[in-house]
Parts: sequence; structure tokens; C-alpha cells
Amino acid sequence: MLKTYQEEVAAKGVKCVAEETLAKAKAVHEKLNNVVTFVDYDDSHLESANKDSYFYGVPIALKDNVNTKGIRTTASSVILDNYIPVYDATITKKLKEAGAILIAKTSLDELGMGGTNKCAATGPVLNPYDLDRISGGSSGGSATIVAANVVPFAIGTDTGDSIRKPASYCGVVGVKPTYGRISRYGIIPYASSLDHVGFFTRSVEDAAKALYTLAGRDDHDMTSSQLPVEDYYALLNSDVAGKRIGVLKNVTDAINDSKIMDQFNALLDKLTEKGAIIDYVELDEALVRTMLPAYHIIANAEATANHSNLDGIRFGNTQEGATMEEVMVKTRTNGFGKLIRQRFVIGSYVLFVENQEKIFRKAQKVRRLLVDQYASFFNNHDAIIAPAAGSGAPLLEGATGIDSLSDEYLIAENHLVINNFTGYPSMTMPLGYTEENMPVGVNISTRPFTEQEMFNIALSVEEITGLKNLHKEVC
Amino acid sequence: MKLEYRKLANQLMFDLSEEEIMELDREFETLLKQIDLLDSIDTEGVEPMVYPFQQATSYLREDEVDEVITQEEALSNVHKTRARHVLVPKVVK
Amino acid sequence: MKYETVIGIEIHCELKTKTKMFSSAPVSFAKQPNSCVNVIDLGHPGTLPCLNKEAVRMAIKACTALNMSIEPLVRFDRKNYYYSDLPKGFQITQQFHPIGSNGFLEIKTDDGIKNIRIERLHMEEDTAKQFHNDFGTMIDYNRAGTPLVEIVSCPDMRSGKEAAAYVEKLRSILYYLDVSDVKMEEGSMRCDVNISLRPEGSEVFGTKCEIKNLNSISNVQKAIEFEIERQSKILDEGGSVKQETRRFDEAKKETVSMRSKEGSVDYKYFPEPNITPILLSEEFIQGAIDTMPELPDSLLRRLTEDYGIGETEANILISTREEIAYFDAVMKHSKNAKLVCNWILGDVSGVINKMNLDFGRCPIKPESLAELIAMIEAKEISSKQAKEVFEAMVEGAEPREYVKEHNMAQNSDTGALTALVNEVLDENEQSIIDFKAGKDRAAKFLVGQSMKKSKGTANPQMANEILMQELAKR
Repeated sequence: MLKTYQEEVAAKGVKCVAEETLAKAKAVHEKLNNVVTFVDYDDSHLESANKDSYFYGVPIALKDNVNTKGIRTTASSVILDNYIPVYDATITKKLKEAGAILIAKTSLDELGMGGTNKCAATGPVLNPYDLDRISGGSSGGSATIVAANVVPFAIGTDTGDSIRKPASYCGVVGVKPTYGRISRYGIIPYASSLDHVGFFTRSVEDAAKALYTLAGRDDHDMTSSQLPVEDYYALLNSDVAGKRIGVLKNVTDAINDSKIMDQFNALLDKLTEKGAIIDYVELDEALVRTMLPAYHIIANAEATANHSNLDGIRFGNTQEGATMEEVMVKTRTNGFGKLIRQRFVIGSYVLFVENQEKIFRKAQKVRRLLVDQYASFFNNHDAIIAPAAGSGAPLLEGATGIDSLSDEYLIAENHLVINNFTGYPSMTMPLGYTEENMPVGVNISTRPFTEQEMFNIALSVEEITGLKNLHKEVC
Repeated sequence: MKLEYRKLANQLMFDLSEEEIMELDREFETLLKQIDLLDSIDTEGVEPMVYPFQQATSYLREDEVDEVITQEEALSNVHKTRARHVLVPKVVK
Repeated sequence: MKYETVIGIEIHCELKTKTKMFSSAPVSFAKQPNSCVNVIDLGHPGTLPCLNKEAVRMAIKACTALNMSIEPLVRFDRKNYYYSDLPKGFQITQQFHPIGSNGFLEIKTDDGIKNIRIERLHMEEDTAKQFHNDFGTMIDYNRAGTPLVEIVSCPDMRSGKEAAAYVEKLRSILYYLDVSDVKMEEGSMRCDVNISLRPEGSEVFGTKCEIKNLNSISNVQKAIEFEIERQSKILDEGGSVKQETRRFDEAKKETVSMRSKEGSVDYKYFPEPNITPILLSEEFIQGAIDTMPELPDSLLRRLTEDYGIGETEANILISTREEIAYFDAVMKHSKNAKLVCNWILGDVSGVINKMNLDFGRCPIKPESLAELIAMIEAKEISSKQAKEVFEAMVEGAEPREYVKEHNMAQNSDTGALTALVNEVLDENEQSIIDFKAGKDRAAKFLVGQSMKKSKGTANPQMANEILMQELAKR
């Protein structure tokens, strides 16, 4: 927790805490393989940093798709293996100004494109609760470094569910705020209209503090919001009396793990006891099945264009060639994993003039239908709630056994995508455990730019579950 | 279709192995099923959604020089340079 | 067979902003390579575009000058292709919703005024500059991201001459708007020509060729004229024109094939997700329009119709913004437009050229020139004296002071001149006799003597008239 670290810093000094944390991070990495680059202690920014900030002196980690000036940033891709940014992402700057101490750049699925963290250039990230299982992705390195009690906070990014899914699998709080709330400038993208910057913490309190520190207008990001930032922590209030909370029935219907459902229903009962008004909302069945396909089409199309800059000409892991074209082809063939290349082919295919109306624009239309229907829930609800996933973290080896077009896969395991479509704030926090005793999360979403409301309800949930500061030591 | 994959990949400036092409073929099968799913939805009169939020913005950047990086920084990640230029094998346009 | 030529023109024009279209790095020329860039221009991972306000303002001015409708909701799209001069692997452009559409431009042709319709004007960004050598290609990214407008005409031109007139007209408008340097030879204005032939009377377009990167207006005309001949020959021989991209070889004065256009690239345009649509307010648009300077057509009308200046002279006066501004500044203090025009095109231009200056830095203040002209008009000094005063003005003299100091004020006082003339007559009786005997030379001699006696200050015309009167009396 941020406060605990600040107390330690007050007692032992910034450097000592940072070095102890770094040592622990290295030990944990031996078990989880969750770090791409460890960062040597550097306090050159502390003098001008805000000494009253929630982050002053606190060791933190950044997902390795966040640009850090002078520190290698790879996005877990071979093509950026040697890339040393000459600029800081806006959030890197903000965290420096807040006096945070960066100790590690964490692993992700290559370029953020994946949900398992098995597709990182440095290999898969393992789950602290069971080393035979995955962390989930794409922000698996950040989820695990917080879950393993190394740092109290780590940055993640979320294009489909890349913060909220690993948060569920690793038993931590994962927040994806409203689109435009945190600047995307300096974040190596996946799909621009779906990409969100967010973070992991181990408490709602810390989540509120973190958003306060990171949020705000950035003129470098034309999609960033002008709305003022609230002091979410100071305003935290767990009173849910009279709050109308809708349960996403499509998800609860599709979940087969009864232990998850029991804990979820118990949570609903407790919320009702506290005065919340719970009922069920449901997206059109046929429409909800198209959510994931539409997502893949839009995300892959935007991604293939977004990563066209990775050609080995101005930066990156350039391969020799006899012609300019050969340099590009060799660099990109060598630099991208096969999954990435396959997705680019699909992403580019759906953009061809002859396919665009039928596939890409069709997916964008479906997106609107889904968003409109989802938005209508908020006419008479303050929040939407559902289990974050239908299972705990899958095993590292072997297929999940779920047919990719089944309801369990299309809905229970991937419903979080809806709030990448809408841009609405959405967070996952520990709910309990699965039948296999792996952590599982609950997801809460609210209206755009009502993160305060989301945190308030989350605080109430945290009080009910008692799963504050949940973590798993691995060494 | 399989023959086309390599061409598609080469247009995107990379190559695919035979095995990767086989896998991609399966991906395309899934894509075609997904397209069928999409086709089942009536989107008549629906505008494609490009941005999460529809409301137009008004901010434009003032035309003042602000952030420039040094020549050294500009070239620091470049594989080969010559006379402070980025050097690539001869491009024939 | 007789053919009709159909020509459409695409112009790319670099805008004269201080910073790039989507980054705050400076736009500049002839600087150290790769020194006017930032991470956005280099397409570094994680960078995002941020639209330049001034570029939008300049685009609005250009649209207004070209009689276009302005789309207040500014949107951008991605044009996807891979090339070493294109840092992001896509260009941000306005494919689907150009800021300007449906405009036109008037050109003068042999058959009178003709309107050339303009389909669209859109904003986009320039690429990096490449230098091809034996050892490889060197890339300088300073130009990458420079704001551009692309102006696309309808296929409304029918000859090389019309095309040249169109480009010249467009060039002068953009020049007057001060939105671009419009230097074709330096690439700040680039011209691509689409040209096809069809049998006279046919409604169907023939197969077109694109001639890329024409670097002067005269080459636009030459390239078109060559192409008309080339395509006519192919068609006359029963062949068909290949759809292709060609370039103009200046030395050989002919167009050469660059590449075939068949199986052309699909740029996979789609809306740029990183730029939310921007709604320009009415005030913003009007604000840009309100700061537009007077354009060449209006200037020409004003000079010829209001001031009665000949078209040739008027065209010279408007050849630079500085020259017409100088003319207007002089005219604030003068009423004699023709005289002002003559002086500017004559002596003032001479000085400007000799000193290698432009009218913005003319050593002669406009009000001083007006004063000189006023003295000439009032016959206070002779035109010969005026030249002398002008020479002094180049060195910084004030005309009226100079005239006073050098006692040059022309004597136009009838009484004084009559007395002076009579003195001369009294001193030269023989000349009076000669005059009466019909010798005209004698009169000239007497006028000369009068001028001499007045030390050059006598108004020569008056002196002549008075002399005649007084001679008649004797």
C-alpha cells in the first residue's frame, strides 16, 4: 500500500526502500519472469518533485510499453529490443513529478496484443498463486509485481481487458478509467480508439490516490479530456444506500463455476443489505456474441496501421538488407512474433477497399449498437457489476478447451471488452477464489468520468469482501 | 486464398513461414465465421463508431515552436547514419 | 483525327507555419539535417499528433480565396503505405472530409475568362527528404510533418496554356495570402498533371497519364504540350495510351515513363482515431477570413478601374506583395496614381534592383516619394530637378528640405518672371532683332538666358510664355 511504503521511506530513506524493493523484484522475477528491464536507483528527479504527493519516494513499476527517456522500452517485442526512448510518456513525467521511484519495466504480451502474457519476447509471465498458471495479459508483468507484494502500484494498459483480466487472475485491483482521463501520449499503442492507460494497486484507497496523480488534460493527446480531476481519495465514501446497481445477466448466465457465482451472489446480498438496489440488465443475446469478433476486427485494423512505424529505419532492431524494402521486410519478419504478423494480415485485410464496408465498418456499426444499448442501462442505474471472468487463471500449458465461438468464451471470458468500446470507467477487484482456489475478481463499471462513483462502490465491495491488500509472497 | 497470404504479408513488409500460413488459414476461417455473426446483426442506418465519445473537440495547438530534440537524439536509435543523415540501402523510387 | 485534351491538376503546397502540422518542431529550410524534428516527426513509438491552429487558419484562407465551401468539422484519415520517407507508415490526410470543396478559379484564356472548378482542398503532412547516392539513400527528416494543402482541380483545362494559367493564378493567390512560399523550383509548391485525350465531341474520358513533380510553370506547359503530341500519335496509330506515371525530362524536353499505374495500391484509408473531430467555431473561421489580404484579382481591378493604370503596368505593380503595398502607401499621400505608378516602375524599381532590395526595404519612404510627386505636379520643380532630388532621396534626403537647401524651388511668380525676362531682353537687343527677322533660334537663346539668370529656378514653360508676350510688346 502506498502509505505503508511512504512510512517506510520516512523511516529508512528513499534509497534504502528502493534498493530493498529492487532486490525483492529481482528475486520475484526469478520465479515469475515478470520484468523486462530493472531500473537502477535514480533520484535526480526528487529534488523538484512534489514532497506531499501520494507517491513521493514510493517504488513503482511501469508496463514496458510506457516510454521512459534513456531507459530501454521494448513493448516486449524483438523489434524494439534495443529501443532507448529520447522522451518520457506524459504519465512517466507525472510520476516523476510526484516523486515515484521507478524500479522495473514489466513484461507484456508483445505490443499489448494478447490476453495471456505468453506472447512476450522474454517468455511467459507466471501467476504468483500457481506457477503452472498464466498471469493473464497483456499487463501480466505489472499485475504480478503488485500481486507478489513487490510494489504497491504499477502502470498497465487496457485495450480489451488487459488490466482488468490479469487483475482478476492475480487478485489485485485493476483500474481502467474513462477514455481520455489519463493521457496516452508516450504509450506504445495497440488500437488507438480502444487503448486506455490504467494501473494496478492492492486497495481502492490507493486506486483513488493513483488516478488523482495520473489523470488530467494533456495537450499532447487530442483525445484527452478537459474535465477537471477530482480528489478521489479525499472524497471516498462507501455508502451505497440508494445506489442502483445492475448485474450484467449475459455474464452471470454464461459462467459455469458455481463457487464464483456463490461468492458473487453473496456480495450482491451484502450490497443489498447496505441499501443498494440490485437488479439485472441484459444485452441483446445476438449482439453480445458479436462483441468479441467486432473487437478483433477493429483492434487488429488499428494495430496494423499503428505499428507500421516499426520498420527499422529510424529506430529498432534493424536487420541488414540489400534494398530499403529488404531492410524493412527482414526487420519486421525477425522483429514481430508470428501471432502479431498474423493479426496484422487480418487487420490489413479488413481495411481493403473491397472489404471495408462489409467487415471493418460493419464492426464499427456493431460497436455503436452495443455501446448505445449498454449506455441505456445507465438511464436507471449508477453502476453495472459482474464477475470479471468465468474462471481463474488458466494453466500455462495446454489449450483452454473453450471453443472460440462458445458463449463461455465470447461472453463470460471476454465481456470486459464492452467498456473499451464505450470508453466508460471500469475496474476489477478481488471477489474471492475459484473452485481451484485461484483468485477471481468482480468488475464494476459506471458512467463516463464518474470514477468517484466507481471507487465509492468499490470501497463498499472491499469492505464486504475484506480482500484489501491481498497479495501472495512467492519467495 | 492460401497463396494470397504471403502477398498480403509482403504488402505489410514481412514474411510468413509455411507453417504460419497454415495457421493463418485457420485464423481466416474463424474470421469468416465472425463475419457471419456480424452479418446477422441489422445495422441499417447505423453510423460507424470511430471514437468512444462523439462530441467534437475544439482544441488546436498554437503555432509556437516548443519541443525539438537534438540531432544526436534524433539519430541515437538509428542503425546507420552518414553525414548526420539516416542511411538506408539505395531506394529506387 | 482531332482530339480534345482533358487536364486536371493536383497541387501540393507547403504552408508557411512556424511549426509542423502535428508537432511543435520548427518548419525550416537549409538547416542541419535532422535538427528540426521531434519524436512525432520521426514516428517514434507512442507519439500522437496534435493539430496546428495556424495551419487550419491558412487552409481556411486558401479555401475562401478559391471560392470553396468550408467544412467546419475537421476530420483526418490515415493513408497507409510503407516507404522510407514516411515515418509513421501512414500519412495523416483528409481523405473523406476535406476542409474545402467545390470551389473555382477564374483564368484568362484566348477566348476570355474561364472558370476552372476546384474539387477539393485538404490538409496533410509532408514526407522526409531523400538524397540518392551510389552508396545508398540518405534521409533528412526535417521536412517530415511540414503542413501541406493539396488542391485538386476538376478536369477542366483543355491546353497547356490554360494549365499554366491555372497554376500561375493559384500560385499568385497563395502567394498573396502569404500562406506559402510557392516556390516550385524549391518544392514548396509541387504540381502533378493528369492528362488524357479524347476524340473531339466525345463525352467519355480517355486513359490518363499522370506527370509528376513539375518544377516550373513553363515546364507544366511544355510537358503537357509534349504529352498531347505523344498521346495523339499513339491514338492516330490505332494504339491505346497506357495508364502510367510519367516525369518530365527537362533536358530532353519530353516526358518519360516512371511506373505503370495498373494494379494500383490500396491505401486502406480509415479515420484517424487519435484526432477526435474538431468543430471550428464561426468566430474562428470568420477570424481567419477577416485577416485575409486583398487578392490579385481585386488589386488588378482597383488599379485599372479606380486608378486608370494600364493592365501591363498594374500586373507589374502586383507582382510582389511588397510592391503593391508600397504603391498603396504612396497613394495615401498622393492623388496622381499614374505618376506614382510611373515613378515606382521607373526610378524606384531601378534603385531597388540596383541595390538588390525588395520594396519592403525601399530606401525611399512612401510619403517622401508622394511629396516629390506633389512638387512636380505643382510645378515647383522641373522633372529634371526631380531626378536630382530623387538621387538625393536615395541617400536619405528629405525632398522639400533638399529643394529648399539647394534653392531649387521653381519660380512661377508671373511678376518676378516678367521682370527677369525684361532684364534679359534689355541685355540682348540683337536677339530681339533676330527674332523679329524670323530666327526661331533667337527665342530659344533668350529662354536659355532667362533660365540661366534665374539659376535654373524659373518655370521653363512660364518663362517661355512670358518671353513671347514681352517680345510681342517690343
